[in-house]
Amino acid sequence: MLKLDAVTVRFGGLTALSDVSFEIPQGEILGLVGPNGAGKTTLFNSISGLVKARGQITFDGKNVIRLPLHRRARVGIGRTFQIPQPMHHLSVRENLAVAQVFGAGRYDPKRIDEILTVMELSHKADADAASALALQELKRLEIAKALATEPKLLLLDEVLAGLESNAKRTFMLKLRELHRLFGLTIVIVEHDIETISELCTRAVVLNFGQLIADGTPAEVFANPAVMESYTGTAHA
Amino acid sequence: MSHSASHPAAGSPAGSSTARGIALGAGLLVLALVPLMVGASPYMLGLLISALILAGLALSWALLGNLGGMVSFGHAAFFGVGAYASALLAARLNVPVLLAIPIGGLFATLSSLAMLPALRLSGPYFALAILAYAQIFRILATELDWLTGGAAGLQRFPSLPTVFGLDLSERAGSYVLVLACVVLFALVYVVIRRSHVGTALRAIAESEDATRVVGVNATVLKTWMLLLSAFIAGVFGALNAHIIGFLEPDYAFSGIWSVMPIIAAVFGGYRTVLGPIVGAVVIYLFDQVVAKSLIPVGHQILLGIVLAVMVLVAPNGLSGLVARLFPRSEKHHAEA
Repeated sequence: MLKLDAVTVRFGGLTALSDVSFEIPQGEILGLVGPNGAGKTTLFNSISGLVKARGQITFDGKNVIRLPLHRRARVGIGRTFQIPQPMHHLSVRENLAVAQVFGAGRYDPKRIDEILTVMELSHKADADAASALALQELKRLEIAKALATEPKLLLLDEVLAGLESNAKRTFMLKLRELHRLFGLTIVIVEHDIETISELCTRAVVLNFGQLIADGTPAEVFANPAVMESYTGTAHA
Repeated sequence: MSHSASHPAAGSPAGSSTARGIALGAGLLVLALVPLMVGASPYMLGLLISALILAGLALSWALLGNLGGMVSFGHAAFFGVGAYASALLAARLNVPVLLAIPIGGLFATLSSLAMLPALRLSGPYFALAILAYAQIFRILATELDWLTGGAAGLQRFPSLPTVFGLDLSERAGSYVLVLACVVLFALVYVVIRRSHVGTALRAIAESEDATRVVGVNATVLKTWMLLLSAFIAGVFGALNAHIIGFLEPDYAFSGIWSVMPIIAAVFGGYRTVLGPIVGAVVIYLFDQVVAKSLIPVGHQILLGIVLAVMVLVAPNGLSGLVARLFPRSEKHHAEA
């Protein structure tokens, strides 16, 4: 499904990602973990086309590294942002319609209604503007928008952050439901070890832009280097 | 690809909003025909023609600002290029005036192609780039005197013709033609705004990354809006040239044609279709009839005061003020 080969991102003199390589098979739920500044969001940005990267990003057998941002969405790479970025002045339904028309290349109101139902946003669909939504609703809209583009791969950037434990649990169940319903491959950035262990079949750890561990959550979190990177002692 | 979602069902809040818009637009159109029915003086018709020219220009500015979020300080360039191209085609190549006017618009569109690199800029950088660009065309019109007549300008070029017995060069005929063009482009604006492309463009104005990440090619859509906006500005520049019958660089590319549409659109409410049109008519008539009689020299200062008050009291312009004074009924809110 997705193969990263020596993906490197530099911002001036700063190397945000350095030769990151790993593969994600279809249908997997992968946890992408690491301390703040490890390069997790930069990796999402390079996969989705928001920043320029070197190396190879192969999606469904094609190297997409030179594809512009809007074309990545059209080949099936959907993403959310850590801070939800709805199209503020549009209604929830309009947000989804734009995503579907331009991302999936078709307009299907029934499908939009289905996504609204799954994401529990039907009652807000035609409310005045997306900017009026509460945080949880904005997070659901963020995912709904990505789903409307009919992605094969869904990149979720700290979608559970800021939620209290009950809401987090509900959201995790929702992610499992989406994975099953839409046959998605999911990569999720998350700090919480418990969440990753429960939700993901595999975890990849980044630290200072480098991949330092790759395995099942149990294997990864038993790795001393990973725990050191979390406690900040590895590079002291 | 179906676009049915962009046409809300009757009875829905959006549908009733559409019905209100149509009713308001039709009402304003009838109002616009009153001067002809009551036989307004040539002076008053002349003022109204100028106000409608400004309305067309304000509409083209608002289209770019509202759909795509591009703030232009250079619409004088498109206005001037359209004016010169149409006048020269009619004068030198004997192109019929009614054909030369849209071709003038096309020349303005062509001239806007030079602005495409600026689409990568945003906010004040785009505004500054397009401001500088407008100056280039004024200088070209002055320096290319073998073509444009230089600083002396063009005096002898055909005026508007007579069509089906209606002399378009007379005030009443010119008024009808300019009004028809304003209505036509307002309808084009409405159609685009209500399409998915229009919805995406409104979203681009707020958050470009949020739209690009769901597959919107923001650069292409913004390019189309720039080309269309330039075309509309060029057509109104051409109309104005054939109505007033002379052109000189300092007039055709005057900063007034960049600033006045902004004032008119902001005063009327640039996020709506009717706002820039109503704003242009109100602002122009206020300036020419009220402000000039109070302060014959430097009357523009009153325009500045009126605009400042409007921005402070009603940032969304006249249309926002009307919406605030006459809110939608509770029933509509409940439906929402």
